[in-house]
Amino acid sequence: MRTINDLSGKTSINRVAIVAAGIVSPLGFGLDETLSGLKSNKDCVLPVSRFDTAACRSKTAGQVLDDRLNQQLRSRKHRRLHRASRIVTAALEELRVQDPDFEPELTVVGTTSGGMSFGQDYYRALHRHNGLRKSPEWIANYPPQKPVIDAQEAVGVSAPCQIIANACASGTNAIGHAFECVRSGRHKRVLTGGYDALSELVFVGFDCLQASTPEKCRPFDRERSGMVLGEGAAMLGLENLERARARGARILGEVIGYGISTDNHHLTQPDPSGSGPRRAMEQALQSARRAPEEIDYINAHGTATSFNDAAEGKAIQELFGRVPVSSTKSMIGHSLGAAGAIEAILCLLALQAQLLPANINFRSADQDLDLNIVANTYREAKLSVTLSNSFGFGGTNASILLQRAPA
Amino acid sequence: MNLRIAGMGWVTPLGRGIDHVWEQLLREEGAIPKPISDSVSDKSYSAFRVEADTLRGLPPHPRLRRASAISRFAVAAGLDAITCARSTIGEVDTGRMALVFAVSNGGVIYTKRFYHEVIESGAQSASPLLFPETVFNAPASHLAAILGAGGASYTLVGDGAVGVLAVKMAADLLQTETLDACLVVGAEEADWVLCDAYHKWRLIKKKPPVLLYRDPPAGMILSEGAGALMIAREGPVQIDEIDSGGNFSHRRDAEKTVQETLHRLASSNACVVGSANGTFIDLAEQRALEKEMPDAVVYSAKAALGESVGASAAWQVIIAAQALRAKQLPPSAKRSAEHPTGGGFSCSKAIVLACGLSQQVAALRLSI
Repeated sequence: MRTINDLSGKTSINRVAIVAAGIVSPLGFGLDETLSGLKSNKDCVLPVSRFDTAACRSKTAGQVLDDRLNQQLRSRKHRRLHRASRIVTAALEELRVQDPDFEPELTVVGTTSGGMSFGQDYYRALHRHNGLRKSPEWIANYPPQKPVIDAQEAVGVSAPCQIIANACASGTNAIGHAFECVRSGRHKRVLTGGYDALSELVFVGFDCLQASTPEKCRPFDRERSGMVLGEGAAMLGLENLERARARGARILGEVIGYGISTDNHHLTQPDPSGSGPRRAMEQALQSARRAPEEIDYINAHGTATSFNDAAEGKAIQELFGRVPVSSTKSMIGHSLGAAGAIEAILCLLALQAQLLPANINFRSADQDLDLNIVANTYREAKLSVTLSNSFGFGGTNASILLQRAPA
Repeated sequence: MNLRIAGMGWVTPLGRGIDHVWEQLLREEGAIPKPISDSVSDKSYSAFRVEADTLRGLPPHPRLRRASAISRFAVAAGLDAITCARSTIGEVDTGRMALVFAVSNGGVIYTKRFYHEVIESGAQSASPLLFPETVFNAPASHLAAILGAGGASYTLVGDGAVGVLAVKMAADLLQTETLDACLVVGAEEADWVLCDAYHKWRLIKKKPPVLLYRDPPAGMILSEGAGALMIAREGPVQIDEIDSGGNFSHRRDAEKTVQETLHRLASSNACVVGSANGTFIDLAEQRALEKEMPDAVVYSAKAALGESVGASAAWQVIIAAQALRAKQLPPSAKRSAEHPTGGGFSCSKAIVLACGLSQQVAALRLSI
């Protein structure tokens, strides 16, 4: 994909480095804990502790541990913030420690529901005509941009924020757009990522659609029965590679391609042909000028719903054949707006540690899909380029390609 | 940058159609707020609503059967902008067009209904028909389906500045040769629960009129609708600069961020279409303008149209573009004595200054 710098037709393609990253997910706090969790093929899905799930079919989720999160409370102001703000802050603090000189010009972050649980608290208080004393606080901390602005303030960053809400593709869309902003030369440094905190409204929503499962999350399995929700945040610092090198920044990896498509088949269901995901993956390859054979691992969207895995699996099979595939949602659940960003960091860790993360809870292959699933335990492998997929309600499909850090 | 506005459309409480609404604004006609109430409370508020017949003529597409009001507003404004663009740049190939949506509260009516059912009757009674419509990108999805647009589609969320950030994203997307145009749509729907929330945040006044640039501010009235801008490389109005602005921590700091943003765009022969809405924003803007552009003609439509949050910046851009094309601004609440309607308008540039209620500021400058 060529980019235009001005109407004279002069083109520019800059390489885009990942110079810092931070992550909070059910696998743990930080890159080291996350890698360790990947290596132990950890199943992080537990009964939901934040709200009552008695009337729901599904009762489990991947959750960020509150005691860890609460250790980071520093002030009264911090305590008043939404949990999402504290999760994003923890991820951004890790990034900042890695590269204190990374000063973004723009921040592009994905989410689906912002401070939703505060909206619920407010509406419940309205409904029972009691307990509205805290409502100004809830309302002030509800907007989706608030956790990102809070986190930036906490680490001393002040960049304008574009918050993308493209449902479950939000995190990958955010990284993809940030990548294009740096690659085109419009920006030198962009902070990007995604976040979401578990909320009752969203949990019940997926439950009522029967998209979530009362059982284990088994992506691409013949007996898959649905998704399990999750939560977390992941942040990445993207920078023009040459500039990053010039200032002596550590290069963790590169983003090399991005594809986006919209599937107009249905608001919540993909076209069974897999054409939407396929177009996003093809575009990402074209954008990176890579052939399908050059992809060493695919971190699939892999929600374990019947429709998603069938459509995505078909597209992967047609385009990539037997490339190793796993859905790490089997371990941590589907963290919606955070998922794409978390999975990008899992790809980064896979490239660094030269391993294929596991698709746990896998029992038997879907006979309609001929995929090379990394079943149940991680595998060591030589990896140079990985692809990560995220697809969402509204028919949004996004794919990004990451490459191992240049020697 | 050579980006232009090739087409515009809006759905407002004053009606639909660029010229129709514009002429009413020039005549200083404002929309009439309607009472808005809810079964959860005895409190009543006022809001500027879009009349039902404003949306007459929408295509009978299956996606609109159950769609929320915000989706209908967005579709109507988006289709109008495409029709308008046809007359300036010809047919737009939707395969080479991206969509960028700007929303703030999104599909709040269905979200409230969905959660109300959960509270009233339990999770087992929650509606699978409502939940998909609660996601922020549902309006973008519906418009994409109606247009058959299968390319890039983004929904941005934010406060009153989000529309400018959406134009900035469109500018970034149009860096690629694979796109010819980007349709930017800002949309919002009003609901009692939003009025109550903003009231608890001490930003709402319950009854008209909305008085701008008063110290202390008297409060805003919420509004709804959509504004759409077809951004392309050809078209009658040029986008000179877009400034992503910045964030402010507290309301008292808004002035500084507004001033810094305005400083980067200030131009001697520019008018300003501001975001004053009867809240702390008015004073932040006024003080920043006094420092950076003390002689500028300033206009805000929020006395006439209310605060439509996600749609508001798109409306501001439309007003700024119309002002440059028509060489006049509607009478200004702030400076009507010095700059009466139609007389002596000599601006060749217009600045859209968007300060939101939730910490974001952004701006852009148009020229003709």
